[in-house]
Amino acid sequence: MGMMPKEDVEAKIDMIIDKYAGKSGVLIQLLLEIQRELNWVPREAIKRINERLGIPESEIYRVVSFYTAMSLTPRGKYLVRVCTGTACYIRGAQRVLTAAEKAIGVKAGETTDDLKFTLQTVNCLGCCALGPVVEINGKYYGLLTPKTLENIISNLRGESS
Amino acid sequence: MEANIKEVNLTINGVHVKAQKGTPILEVARQIGVEIPTLCYIKGLSPYGSCRICSVEITTASGRKRIVTSCNYPAEEGLVVETDSERVVKVRRNLLRLLLARCPKVTRLKNLASLYGLNEPDLWVENDSEDCILCGLCVRVCNELIRVSAINFANRGIKRTVTTPYDEFSEDCIGCGACAMICPTGSKKVRTNNYSVVRPLAAPQKDEKLGAYIDILSAKSSIEGQDGGVVTALLLSGLKNGMFNKAVVVKRKSGYRAEAVIASTPEEIMEARGTKYFRIKIVPKIKELISKGERKIAVVGTPCQVRAARKIQQILQQEHPDLDITIIGLFCFESFEYEKLKAETARIMGVNLDDAEKTQIKRGKFIVSINGHEYSCKVKELDHAISNGCPYCSDFPAFFADVSVGAVGSPDGYSTVILRTDKGKKLVENTCLEYGRVNVEEITKLSSFKKNRAKENFEPLIREIQAVRLKIRGAVGDDA
Ligand code: SF4
Ligand code: SF4
Ligand code: FES
Ligand code: FES
Repeated sequence: MGMMPKEDVEAKIDMIIDKYAGKSGVLIQLLLEIQRELNWVPREAIKRINERLGIPESEIYRVVSFYTAMSLTPRGKYLVRVCTGTACYIRGAQRVLTAAEKAIGVKAGETTDDLKFTLQTVNCLGCCALGPVVEINGKYYGLLTPKTLENIISNLRGESS
Repeated sequence: MEANIKEVNLTINGVHVKAQKGTPILEVARQIGVEIPTLCYIKGLSPYGSCRICSVEITTASGRKRIVTSCNYPAEEGLVVETDSERVVKVRRNLLRLLLARCPKVTRLKNLASLYGLNEPDLWVENDSEDCILCGLCVRVCNELIRVSAINFANRGIKRTVTTPYDEFSEDCIGCGACAMICPTGSKKVRTNNYSVVRPLAAPQKDEKLGAYIDILSAKSSIEGQDGGVVTALLLSGLKNGMFNKAVVVKRKSGYRAEAVIASTPEEIMEARGTKYFRIKIVPKIKELISKGERKIAVVGTPCQVRAARKIQQILQQEHPDLDITIIGLFCFESFEYEKLKAETARIMGVNLDDAEKTQIKRGKFIVSINGHEYSCKVKELDHAISNGCPYCSDFPAFFADVSVGAVGSPDGYSTVILRTDKGKKLVENTCLEYGRVNVEEITKLSSFKKNRAKENFEPLIREIQAVRLKIRGAVGDDA
């Protein structure tokens, strides 16, 4: 996805808001769509929703900061979520996480400068028997070792975007 | 009695009472003098049920026994309520242990806890300076009563907090202080980005109604305009003399809708002439200018905008010591919301506000000029178009401006000018103006009127807050 010019981002935000204007109780859906399209919810979006739909900025900010599915900072193209839940932890999640930090080059919670990767930790992805587990953009990878994880990351990095 | 208001019978601590169906049990109990402690409930705001201190034990008509929060549990037929049973006391005691571990230094919590035999926190204390119990009263008062929604909850889990968007100073906040007043713990949190007091101005004269000032004059310029063209003249001369290089002004956009714009030339200043009675966000424009390296900036605004500008100046000066903002304030009794004003003026006067060449407020009248015709109605008739928050604001003459300007106190064609700071004085001295006679009493009168209106509007809330606090104080002595 990379960086979009500012005007394009604004036009996109307005287009998404258009779809929801006039309906009530749509804030969460609207924000999820912005997140999906832009990979984060920029300040500009909060401002525009406030101006156009009259929802207070503080209310929009509350929602975005509450849901883990939404992000107040740009997220990378690949969201790498390393499970550090109990089962995975016992099976070596910490080593997988360290390997992920090294392979991606950022710490958990951060995003690479080229907006390719965001690394997060998560508590239990619900498939403990496969631990250690990592989820990348909805796809699950189980029984990982630091080595297999490194391979996955370098494959993704190699892909043309 | 109307058919849809149903009366129900219930028993509270053995006393039989009749109540309207749906009234919170807490209110019913109060009617018969039974007090239940509360932390997150104030009558008049929607109940939130977060602190659970108001827990009571109920037995429903069908015989089910359980603990509920009385501030939001509706009275129903046959309910038996115990407000101080052993089980209730135990529940409250445990809640207070948790609250005390969260906020070990909050006097009001300590007082309440001591009523339940707890004197020291006996659980792990994470951060002993925490002073917010997340009761949400500040959020609700700002949203439901003041209706500006400057603050809200943010984040989740252990990071949950009350704050402004991005933890930054909020321009939605009108600085009314209701959030600080209502907070059961006296938390500093809500004040960090909103109400936190703006440093007062130093000036030779201080007056409760007029603010701090050096001098008060009446003046007019050769430029046409409702305020005698004084604001425009000040901006033009300040720009020419290099007191500032850019000005943030409010300008008509399409139709009568207005927006904040940056003006850097005399032409742009002239284009923004004329008074608009709207509250428009100006802080983003100030920040935009600063990020572009501008340091000498002028802003024009209503008292709440002035307060925001002054506050933002005090915050940003820590980072940019050379930041120099000249603040020109406008007298303001209340402002309007564009959409509402458009609808109301259409309804009352049959005009389309977007066609207006000029609007003005004079002698209690709102006057719209269209194609040379003047249409008017009483300002009072436009009550429904007033911006949220204004009825709770007590600043008429823009207390925090460098210079305040307004029509009140001056003869037709002239404006009253209050010089508050040396900067404001210099700006006026360097501007070519013609002087007239000022009637200070008129300003004082309107300023008191606005202050009193805010006070009256706050009264019911203050009464409720005091009632709750007195109850705790009555038992053990309070901090307040
Ligand atoms: S001071 Fe008034 S407007 Fe500002 S946050 Fe508090 S309640 Fe809201
Ligand atoms: S700051 Fe005060 S009023 Fe607001 S949530 Fe915290 S304790 Fe409640
Ligand atoms: S602990 Fe990792 S999937 Fe459950
Ligand atoms: S839950 Fe009822 S007062 Fe807090």
